[in-house]
Amino acid sequence: MTYSALAWKNLVRRPVRTALTAGGVALAVAVAVSLGGFNLGYRQAIAGSIEQLGFQVMVMAKGCPYEAATMMLKGGTGLLYLPEEAHAQIRTDPDIEAITPIFIGIAEKQNYSLDGSPAASAFTILSGVDLDSFRAMKPWLKLKTGAGYDGGRWFAPDSTNEVVMGYEAAEYEQRKVGDVFYVSVVPNGKVDPELHAFTVVGVLERTGAQDDGTVFLPLRAAQTAFGRENELTIIGIKLKEFNGIRMREFEGRWLKIPEVQVVSLEQVKGALVSLVGTAQTMVAAVAVIAVLVAVIGVVNSVLTSVHERTGEIGVLKAVGAGRGQIFRLVWLETLLTSLAGAVPGSLLAAGGARLTDAALRHLLNIGVTQPLVRITPGLLGAAILGAVVLGLLAGIWPAGRAAGLRPVEAIRSGE
Amino acid sequence: MANDILISGRNLRRHYRRGSETVKALDGVDVDVRAGESVCVLGPSGSGKTTLVNLLSALDAPTAGELTIGGRRVDGLSERELVGVRRGLLGYVFQQFHLIPTLTVAENVALPLLFLGRKAEPAEIARVLAAVGLADRAGHLPKELSGGQMQRVAIGRALAVRPRVLIADEPTGNLDSHTGEAIFDLFQKTVREDGVALVLTTHNLALAARCDRTLTLADGRIVA
Ligand SMILES: Nc1ncnc2c1ncn2[C@@H]1O[C@H](COP(=O)(O)OP(=O)(O)OP(=O)(O)O)[C@@H](O)[C@H]1O
Ligand SMILES: [Mg+2]
Repeated sequence: MTYSALAWKNLVRRPVRTALTAGGVALAVAVAVSLGGFNLGYRQAIAGSIEQLGFQVMVMAKGCPYEAATMMLKGGTGLLYLPEEAHAQIRTDPDIEAITPIFIGIAEKQNYSLDGSPAASAFTILSGVDLDSFRAMKPWLKLKTGAGYDGGRWFAPDSTNEVVMGYEAAEYEQRKVGDVFYVSVVPNGKVDPELHAFTVVGVLERTGAQDDGTVFLPLRAAQTAFGRENELTIIGIKLKEFNGIRMREFEGRWLKIPEVQVVSLEQVKGALVSLVGTAQTMVAAVAVIAVLVAVIGVVNSVLTSVHERTGEIGVLKAVGAGRGQIFRLVWLETLLTSLAGAVPGSLLAAGGARLTDAALRHLLNIGVTQPLVRITPGLLGAAILGAVVLGLLAGIWPAGRAAGLRPVEAIRSGE
Repeated sequence: MANDILISGRNLRRHYRRGSETVKALDGVDVDVRAGESVCVLGPSGSGKTTLVNLLSALDAPTAGELTIGGRRVDGLSERELVGVRRGLLGYVFQQFHLIPTLTVAENVALPLLFLGRKAEPAEIARVLAAVGLADRAGHLPKELSGGQMQRVAIGRALAVRPRVLIADEPTGNLDSHTGEAIFDLFQKTVREDGVALVLTTHNLALAARCDRTLTLADGRIVA
């Protein structure tokens, strides 16, 4: 016979009550762990997604900088264009280490099922890039090899019908090297779409970033297809030395071009982090409420159980239990209830992390590709420890009440 | 050892406040309990029997008077200090048995050892169960037992710590006369074999006659 065994037997005596109380704890722990995972994950996710862009500064057409930023990450709609001469001007800036012009357009995919009838169509992101400068900006981009991908290469800079597909785009379309990829584009100023048959000359390896869902083609080919010969969507820039002062100096030099704005990805990161921060406060409020409710539930359940067992506690004292021993027994019950909730709650949060991630993504829609919720063993440990500490705090009152009972009175009132 | 006084009370008083009036449940009682003797407390309902044995077992503290248990002055001690007095020295048996319903017979018997911080040796528990005639019931739950068997478990629980005094408040009160007789035999056997002192209260004069001594209470005083 041990204290834990005694405490456990008391808990299972009222299985429904114990289960409900532990369930409350589990819920609170699950919410808290998800929040913690979100807290750990989102900064890293935003930083990671921005890192993967390869540049620190971008020049884009004037417009809402937030929208511009998320568009860059999501490849969303509402694209604005800037004149290509801007690139020629800005590239002369002495502080620039690398610069790459990018043209982004949205095309409608033309899918045909096996019998040749048109199937579901959707949109895809076409990204026209200047190959040398783009690859210099993103040295990690690699062409996939292996069955179906061998012989993969980048498109020829002057080709008009060659594309390289990002990992996910290729997976999704089930395209391999040598396949044809059909899209239709409505050129600027026209009404009717034009069909393009691109040959897939290469497929990229997974990067974990937006590039995975993008179809790349030569800058000129993209501009021509969309009927915007001398326009760009963004210019990505890496400065030799990146800091606030250099950034402001750089910005000051190029504000003179009327159609463009200079956006630092640090700013974008800050904007996204603060956007997420709002959602985080909401989730935190829910978590705090859930934890409070769980603590009250534990206190209530253990108090009730102590009250019911007043006579029995008197008997325990009569057979030799001291104050400290009764306290310990009731405290253990609280602790076990908390643990019985905390462990499944943590597992629930860990198991449901993808779901939480999807829900947050839906709520926030910031176009970050990396996981927003990161649940680490350390986080789970901290949550369980937190539940134990809170459980012990919650147990102080009921345990103290039980410990303070006088045996004769307790036995009498229990009869 | 026969004259070894284990419990000694002088002019014991226990008053309860009930609203504005004071109930003098015990009003100046002198009592000595010696090792190896059986003392029976008699008296009409409300005469203070339970109050007295609660004092003698250090479950409660006297309002006034001197009380020495196992050589320690007990009057004026707090509940916290009383625990230390009753532990290991006294075993208590209730009229309503008061077994812990979630624990088996053996676990109920071993329970006081947990609070004493002693290991419950299976052989020792088996010995106690055999002594109270429940060797074959170790794994049963209290609800599976008869009243007499439950009282045997309660006696086993009181004996598990090898106390020097066994105190029982109407231990046969909830049992039929035949079963009560058997329980009383068990008490007498422990007094004889283990040399413990026994203090019990009862309304049963036939049982009282088999004790070494009787005390009769009326209105909180000893009248015989
Ligand atoms: N906690 C209490 N508060 C107030 N009065 C009490 C309390 N306990 C006992 N009394 C009173 O003290 C007196 C003695 O009670 P006690 O229980 O000792 O009697 P008893 O001899 O054991 O009676 P019975 O044979 O019915 O068990 C009674 O008048 C009772 O009402
Ligand atoms: Mg009584």
